[in-house]
Amino acid sequence: MGVPAAIDLVDLALKATTAYQRPDLGARLEQTRKRLADPNVRVLVVGEFKQGKSQLVNALVNAPVCPVDDDISTAVPTIVRHAETTTVTLVRERGEGSPPERTTVPANQLAQYVSEAGNPGNRALLTYAEVGLPRKLLAGGLVLVDTPGVGGLGSAHGAATMSALPSADAVLLVSDAAQEYTGPELEFLGAALKLCPNVACVLTKTDLYPHWRRIMELDRVHLGDAGVRSEILPVSSMLRLHAAQTQDEKLMDESGFRELVNFLLNRVVARADDLDRRSTGQDVLAVCDQLSAGMKAELSAQENPERIEALVGELTRAKSRADELKQRSSRWQITLNDGVGDLQSDIDYDLRDRLRTIQREAEQLLDDGDPAVIWDQFSEWFHQQVSSAASANFVWAAERARYLASQVAEHFAEGAEVALPQLRFDQSDSMAGKVNALEQPDSEAEGIGGKLLTGMRGGYGGMLMIGMASTLAGLALLNPFSIGAGVLFGAKTVRDEKKRELARRRSEAKVAVRKHIDEVTFQVGKDSRDMLRRTQRDLRDHFSGLAEEVSTSLAGSVAAAQSAVQATASERETRIRDLKAELARIDGVAQRARALMGEAPSQLLAVPAGSAKSL
Amino acid sequence: MTAPPQLGSVVRVLLRRTIDTYRDSPQAVGWLQHNLDRFDEPLRVAIAGKVKAGKSTLLNALVGEEIAPTDAGECTRIVTWYQDAQVPRVTMFPRHASPRQLTIHRNQGALSFDLQGVPVEQVDKLQVDWPSQSLRTQTLIDTPGIASLSKDTSARAGAFLAPDDSPSQADAVIYLMRHLHATDVHFLESFYDQGVARATPINTIAVLSRADEIGVGRLDALNSARRIARRYRADDKIRGLCQTVVAVAGLLAQTGRTMRQHEFTALTALAALPRPDLDSMLLSVDRFSRTELAAPDSETRARLMERFGLFGVRLSTTLIRQGMTDPNTIATELVRRSGLDELRGVLSTQFAERRDLLKARSALLAVDLVLTREPRPSAAPLAQEVERILAGAHEFAELRLLSTIRSGVVKLAPEVLEEAERLLGGDGGSAAARLGLEPGAGPDQLRAAALEAVTRWQRRAESPMSSRAVSDVARLVVRSCEGVLAGLH
Repeated sequence: MGVPAAIDLVDLALKATTAYQRPDLGARLEQTRKRLADPNVRVLVVGEFKQGKSQLVNALVNAPVCPVDDDISTAVPTIVRHAETTTVTLVRERGEGSPPERTTVPANQLAQYVSEAGNPGNRALLTYAEVGLPRKLLAGGLVLVDTPGVGGLGSAHGAATMSALPSADAVLLVSDAAQEYTGPELEFLGAALKLCPNVACVLTKTDLYPHWRRIMELDRVHLGDAGVRSEILPVSSMLRLHAAQTQDEKLMDESGFRELVNFLLNRVVARADDLDRRSTGQDVLAVCDQLSAGMKAELSAQENPERIEALVGELTRAKSRADELKQRSSRWQITLNDGVGDLQSDIDYDLRDRLRTIQREAEQLLDDGDPAVIWDQFSEWFHQQVSSAASANFVWAAERARYLASQVAEHFAEGAEVALPQLRFDQSDSMAGKVNALEQPDSEAEGIGGKLLTGMRGGYGGMLMIGMASTLAGLALLNPFSIGAGVLFGAKTVRDEKKRELARRRSEAKVAVRKHIDEVTFQVGKDSRDMLRRTQRDLRDHFSGLAEEVSTSLAGSVAAAQSAVQATASERETRIRDLKAELARIDGVAQRARALMGEAPSQLLAVPAGSAKSL
Repeated sequence: MTAPPQLGSVVRVLLRRTIDTYRDSPQAVGWLQHNLDRFDEPLRVAIAGKVKAGKSTLLNALVGEEIAPTDAGECTRIVTWYQDAQVPRVTMFPRHASPRQLTIHRNQGALSFDLQGVPVEQVDKLQVDWPSQSLRTQTLIDTPGIASLSKDTSARAGAFLAPDDSPSQADAVIYLMRHLHATDVHFLESFYDQGVARATPINTIAVLSRADEIGVGRLDALNSARRIARRYRADDKIRGLCQTVVAVAGLLAQTGRTMRQHEFTALTALAALPRPDLDSMLLSVDRFSRTELAAPDSETRARLMERFGLFGVRLSTTLIRQGMTDPNTIATELVRRSGLDELRGVLSTQFAERRDLLKARSALLAVDLVLTREPRPSAAPLAQEVERILAGAHEFAELRLLSTIRSGVVKLAPEVLEEAERLLGGDGGSAAARLGLEPGAGPDQLRAAALEAVTRWQRRAESPMSSRAVSDVARLVVRSCEGVLAGLH
């Protein structure tokens, strides 16, 4: 949710950067503002087939938006968000560069486009459908995404869901109360947690199964065994819809939806708000510190004219160290460049290794059977293997990239710490504190997933295209007609011919497999390299910008301190008064930033509560 | 045309000859002797499927007694054989020790087994001897669920049903699935192996289980389930993997076959409540057992819910309201609606009638295994004999052709293919089933229909317009028709 107070504060700080002529700091705030302006909190609803995902979304918004059927399942993700009036839009993305194609359709026709019945295997090639609804629940920016059943990590849908996870703020894993978690479900949960840590498990259809409490306990044990600390929310969509119809409060309690809605509002939306508040507060605080650094240096110089030289010397040394941070030879730059290089080769190796194993197995399978007969099952198996290899590779790459980012942040912070020794001034009253602008990167490391790694959000686009395509190159070579005859012959006279034919089919099938693996290695390899490059660029830009800002601030400080040398005693008096007033004004902004962060529940705050009081 | 010797006796002779040749290898003899004995046993039908697909419940429904333990959590962890016997007895076969007899506990009708402290992973199988009419024609084998969280349990089911190193111990398989999952297809495929006689989906029937839950317990839930089963039946991929798909509400069937008088009394009391009260109670399982009501009391209601499920209670109270007042009629109606009758019909046409063929197939696989494991010069004629039986026995040719047709490589009009499948015995081996006539059709009617079919397919076989593949199909179909005619004499 866009927090209005946060936006106001950013605007105020923006004015200050203009007033003090620091457009470089302004740019950073502009970005913060842009991030705040996108208020959406995306919640992905995922799970196996027929677990009641669509019905859960319907019950949450109390409207039949997602088609529900005993048999037919969802084929296209449906995004449900707030709107003034009910609207349905179909979105078809057309690759990078060109804008997505958007078509508005009447609300009652949605089922034709998003269910397997109207759009089998997503033949219409829709990327997603978007439903706008006037609902209070959604007004806070909550966006619910109903996804097709994953059918295990290996399926194309599973891979698609997986690649959408890094951009989600929370995930609801839906499983019905008919049975405890199965192997594939827990496997999916484990992988999902690596990409999106905010996961809740929803146990649906509690109205139907007398033993749902037992199942919930069993599930809890399974989660515990797997080391997952998500909570389980038992719900009945049927009861909730019925309760909404009959306005029955008691039934509403029984449906378990109050807890789910609470979770969404307090733990997801509010948490996103907290993150917004906190990161905005941090950004503004950092800017304030940068703005005041020069003035503090001057103030200190004015108040202690005898120490000006020492001060200037220290500041100059600090500046040169800050400049070093900008150099390619600085530690964080090396960590980043080496890290990305290593990562690239590791990920590439991992992918090749996985695919090579698949290829070996595939060739073994083809040798053991007749490609003409097993081709259908074979190609499905093959696709599953390939997409699950690509998914696993992606999860791993994302995890490693995130780790690298935190590593870089840490090394940058260390460098900054060295560059800026605690500038303690003799007169250590409230105004002259530690120049703590560079504490920033530490807290940055936490929010790093959402903010810095935007490059990761693109996922493996090309891989999905391959995963979805259900035909293998080279399939056409096998003429089904000759196969039929071959199987039916069975007589000895044609045995040699049959053997020759079989050998030919096998070698053709193997060529097809190799070609496909080549294609996948190429595409996925390119996607992962692109992803890493985007990540690298994002990190480099971010930290270089930060180093630049520090350097500029320090240059200003040096100049300000030097200017103090020429001042007369009376000028000095006035200047000190002015500086104190200016600093007080900036401090006002900083206070507001701290207050903004203070609004968040305390356990979510990285900043110790005492820091706001000391000023 | 003289009727060829019975497939069963031919294979029996082959088994004895192989035993003779391998006299000096105790391992081979043991294995072959075991298979020879197996020839005379009832058909072994394994019930397989994912965890919680309702395997044990269906087994109970088929037997008509609550003998397999069932539970809300994962329950069956050991392969358990249920076979007919004079005296009830449970025997445990530990992996590294001699078989041991277990004491039988009964808790509210259901059996429970105490493994006497032996860990499940060390138990090879349990064997339950139980006097039952339903087990006389077939031995039922309950298997642990696939995709179970305990990897070992899954592996045990996999090893039993699709062992890597030897032919499966089951002659036929009922595969239970809820809605079709990727793992289901994978599992079905593993039966569909590419070996000699294995290349048929002929010994598998798929069951869409827990059918009442597919429509979340609505009264028309079973119609939905039947519609889904019909769609699966028409799906080429699934047709290539199993004989047919039937929807069954296992819990309803089990309860229908074991309904007790006090349950009926409780249901009647519920049906007498005012409609809105009952409807509001039946909104959820919690409401049903917790609503304040003197009779039936809360505990009885909870028990009812466990036995009938939400759907079962809805259905039976509706039936009572509609005027069914006899417990037997209600029980019969529950069983009828559960789809169990349909499943038993399919079992009898697909498995029982093909008993000899399925047994012969298992035996040939066993011989084939010995021949490949321990090749020796003196066994060469045996290998030829296996080949001869496989190539020569028309029954196997029919099976192969059926699976070829189902894999979709023969290009013919759908209705023609459908007829070919029927004539080849795809819907059952009896003359009437093959000819698509009512079971009670007279000999004259059968003969006329068979003659007509022969002529029609003969024409197709000899037509210069037919491709080679089509002619081959037609010739085999003609032979099947001739077999029917020969059987009528």
